[in-house]
Amino acid sequence: MHILALLLAVPALHAQPAEKDVILRAMKDELARSRMLRVVDAPPYFIEYSLDDSEIYYVHGSFGALMTERVSRLRQPRVRLRVGDPKLDNSNHIFSDAFRGSRYDPAQFPIDDNYDTLRFGFWLATDRAYKQALEALARKKASLRNMSVPADLADFSAAPAVDLVLPGQRKPIDAAAWKLRVKQVSAVCANYEQILSCDVGAGISQTISYLVNSEGSQIRYPDHIASFRIRAQGLASDGTTVRAYAEFHAHEPENLPQAEFLRAVQQVAETVVALSTAPPADQYTGPVLFEGPAAGQLLAELLGRNLSIFRRPVTDPDRPLNLPSGELEGRLGARILPDWIDVADDPTQKEWRGRPLLGHYLVDSEAVPPKPLSVVEKGILKAFYTTRQPVAGMEGSNGHARLPGALGNHNATAGCLFVRAGQTATSADLRKRLLDMGRQRNKPFVLVVRKMDFPSTATFDELRRIGGSQSGRAVSIPLLMYKVFQDGREELVRGVRFRGLSVRFLKDILAASDELFLFQYLENGAPFAHMEAGGYVAPVSVVAPSLLFEDLELERIPGEVPRPPVVPPPPLVTTRE
Amino acid sequence: MSIVSGLLIGCLLPLAAQPQPLVEILADELNRNLSALRSKADPAPYFLAYSVVEEESEAVTATFGALQNTSHNHSRVLDVTLRVGSAELDNYHRMSGDAAHFTAAVLLPLEDNANAIRRRIWLETDRIYRLATQRLIRLKTNTQVKAAEEDTSADFSAAEPAIFVEPPARLNFNRNDWIGRVRRWSAECNKPRGVLACSVTVVASRQTKYVVTSEGTRLQHGRGFTRIVMSAQGKASDGMDLMATDSFEAETADRLPREDTVTQAMAKVASRLSLLLRAPPVDPFVGPAILSGSAAGVFFHEIFGHRVEGHRQKDEREGQTFTKSVDKPVLPAFLSITFDPTRKNLAKTDLNGWYAFDDEGVKARPVQVVENGILKTFLLSRSPIRGFPQSNGHGRRQPGAEVVSRQSNLIVESSRSVPKEKLRALLIEEVKKQNKPYGLYFEQVTGGFTTTGRQGLQAFTVLPLVVWRVFPDGRPDELVRGVNIVGTPLASFAKIEASSDELEAFNGVCGAESGSVPVSAVSPALLVTEIEVQRKPAGLDSPPTLPRPTGPGGGL
Repeated sequence: MHILALLLAVPALHAQPAEKDVILRAMKDELARSRMLRVVDAPPYFIEYSLDDSEIYYVHGSFGALMTERVSRLRQPRVRLRVGDPKLDNSNHIFSDAFRGSRYDPAQFPIDDNYDTLRFGFWLATDRAYKQALEALARKKASLRNMSVPADLADFSAAPAVDLVLPGQRKPIDAAAWKLRVKQVSAVCANYEQILSCDVGAGISQTISYLVNSEGSQIRYPDHIASFRIRAQGLASDGTTVRAYAEFHAHEPENLPQAEFLRAVQQVAETVVALSTAPPADQYTGPVLFEGPAAGQLLAELLGRNLSIFRRPVTDPDRPLNLPSGELEGRLGARILPDWIDVADDPTQKEWRGRPLLGHYLVDSEAVPPKPLSVVEKGILKAFYTTRQPVAGMEGSNGHARLPGALGNHNATAGCLFVRAGQTATSADLRKRLLDMGRQRNKPFVLVVRKMDFPSTATFDELRRIGGSQSGRAVSIPLLMYKVFQDGREELVRGVRFRGLSVRFLKDILAASDELFLFQYLENGAPFAHMEAGGYVAPVSVVAPSLLFEDLELERIPGEVPRPPVVPPPPLVTTRE
Repeated sequence: MSIVSGLLIGCLLPLAAQPQPLVEILADELNRNLSALRSKADPAPYFLAYSVVEEESEAVTATFGALQNTSHNHSRVLDVTLRVGSAELDNYHRMSGDAAHFTAAVLLPLEDNANAIRRRIWLETDRIYRLATQRLIRLKTNTQVKAAEEDTSADFSAAEPAIFVEPPARLNFNRNDWIGRVRRWSAECNKPRGVLACSVTVVASRQTKYVVTSEGTRLQHGRGFTRIVMSAQGKASDGMDLMATDSFEAETADRLPREDTVTQAMAKVASRLSLLLRAPPVDPFVGPAILSGSAAGVFFHEIFGHRVEGHRQKDEREGQTFTKSVDKPVLPAFLSITFDPTRKNLAKTDLNGWYAFDDEGVKARPVQVVENGILKTFLLSRSPIRGFPQSNGHGRRQPGAEVVSRQSNLIVESSRSVPKEKLRALLIEEVKKQNKPYGLYFEQVTGGFTTTGRQGLQAFTVLPLVVWRVFPDGRPDELVRGVNIVGTPLASFAKIEASSDELEAFNGVCGAESGSVPVSAVSPALLVTEIEVQRKPAGLDSPPTLPRPTGPGGGL
């Protein structure tokens, strides 16, 4: 491991001005030359180069033992090139990403700051992008001869040039300390006989993102994220897997709340133990209170993820695309929340009540700076998140292109979502109201959700069961849910999912707390933002009150579960490590 | 930062109790699972084995003089083999459309921590026990099983338990030194014209394999693999994609060639690519040819080796070219073939297919498959076939796959060998005799593939990288491009006429049902009176539109 430590100890400093930065210089020089690309008089009208220069450290422990330790140093280039004109270009056709030639540009660029090899890489990548663009535009024009496209939307919107060259810096990582930490934290699991698997991982990603485009934008932007995750699984007596998790994120690893890790793992372990003896819940219809960050989780999934509109690509007449439309598509101006709720997304906010907001950023992946965006006013939907790909009802980009997308475009995601309620109650009143509703409706108990499985940690089998035989889109399951009886007693229950829950239910929110809670997660575009989906992530912050719903339905998660193992678990031995 | 904390850990470690070694943890958990399953489960397993492969590797890659990436990997994965039923008929029995695949290479901790390791093993054993019993039930209720089988051999053979423990060696790799070398080597790609992709990779790895079985086998053994792989790629003006490569293999990094030897090899790879880009394409051709030793090794590996793998002899879906040829001639009488996993090297070249025990824990041994042209036996795992009831140490797999019989070090021996110059003279004689304009010399091949199934053609393709035209009139040889060798096995063997007296090794990795396994093929050069070549697929696009950039850095 000494080699590792040595390598990590070398800090990367890119504090020099733009004109001295070899990466930016190579990108700009080659981009300037690429404007000369011309075959049958179809020059590119837009070229964008970006490069994510990353160092990623990952360490993972289980029951006190080291499982994995990895350092990756990589430079991920991306070339986007448009031919035609903004009204009609090569993007957004089902074959926009198809390339039939041979690829010579490397998927990852050399990590040496070598001007010549950087230009060489962009030269080949641009050549491929150009050939691909010409072919895509031809195919798109052919498709359009025989198809009528519903809305008259352009393919690309204008955006002013942005010059934002920030110092990009990577700090040395104390690998030995993180290794010890995941071992120590995961060792706590070895005190619990009922825990079958226990995974504690620290991931530190230090990325400096570069971008230049043919409109004159140049960007150098530090994009770091550090995560610490604790996950554990157990087995209920009926063979169902139960699980719990905790995760922490910060831009810099030193800002992760290390003092909380041991308490968190204990809590996760005790939750697994409690869930493994908790009874499965039955079908339920009635009031549900989402308490604390659980409401933010629900809103992130139901509202935040539905605020970006996926534009249907142009296809060939004989290849119909059967894509479901977004739940909020076409609903600008419609009421989607009670009239006493406003929602704004403001990525320009750096912190909230002294806590850093991870969803804050200065510029998106298309070099567009975000502005405060009023999403819902008095319950009425006012805006979607947009990228430079036009969306019906919206003008231009509002700076939310945060994840790479397909067919020449980016995907829009939330930034910092603030949910504000005009009418509020104290948390105690909210709970009282929940119980009152139960009493009025003769319910033996009501339900409180304290944690949703979002982002999800479900196994593949579980995901299949959660999503299976369900009409409409599946929503994450509640991970920590309690029956609350009239005498105030609480009972942890497990094994249910929401039935038919969708964005439409948000209109029926009855009440909100005066207390606000911060929920932050890493959006990756995967179903349920699944933690193991990997790839690119965009940190999202949600500030929201607890929320009381009048009437939600829950049902048992269907499907067979395996019988518990024949062989009892191995005995745990005490180690002094 | 790391020095202080490193010292702290160094002080803390001696306080910790001496951990139980992995092989003992595996054995304890195996006994615990087996006895619990035998007392409580129906059906009970009659065989259980745990095998763990620990691999540590370092790699550095450079391109055009710049470092591309570095990586360090360390992993331990577990494969569980559990058999229910009986050796006569168990959960591994073949059944059409229902592959016997149970194991999944689960990650184990890198440290000998009993709590963490035993939990993983326990859960994985449980998962595999369920799959095994389910499949056994399906087998027993499938009326077709056994009914129509020609080969009624059992599913599992007995084997002597093996006990051997050697300490795992450490990987010795000075990363910074290698980074400097790969940068310098890959800069050779900047010299000739037309190179669009270039890479030099050095990979060093160390594997330790642990095998523990219910029969008492307890193994811990390992070996190293080190490789330098060089390649240069480009596009000819007609769009054809071309590549030149070279590689060096050794068990450990200190056995690799000196720096200047590799520099010369890389320079040759780059200049050869440049020549290939301007070489004339060849039209389809049938005629005499010489296969260099390494090319002949690949030829035998593909055409012959895959057809003597034991499991194919009892699988009715297989072509079974040689199943009924035991004690009959299958090759020209001057050729013999041995698979020898105990052979570590050929002169200065370390052989990739070397191992001490196979992946079922059976001790490796040389197996002469062909003696003076006569087929004697097959490559065998612990899955017996008619007439061959015992393993001969060729049960192999990549972690995560189920074991089947695979090749090791294929060694071709010839009793009709002549010096290199004489072989060339024989080729020219043959060209004249057949009245052909030229013969071909296959200097280097990259690999090949073959289909052995009954559904497909019994055919093979070998992919040459460097091919020369040899003219009968004394003109210098001419480099050509764009051909693949094609043929059918039985017809091709009959055309082998003579061999050279020098052996050459081809080291590689072979992919088949049980994943990728390291192999090598050793052969003298061969004169073949008739070989068929076809055109390789054309490229779909043209070379880059703009010329290669040159800039303030002085250009490339």
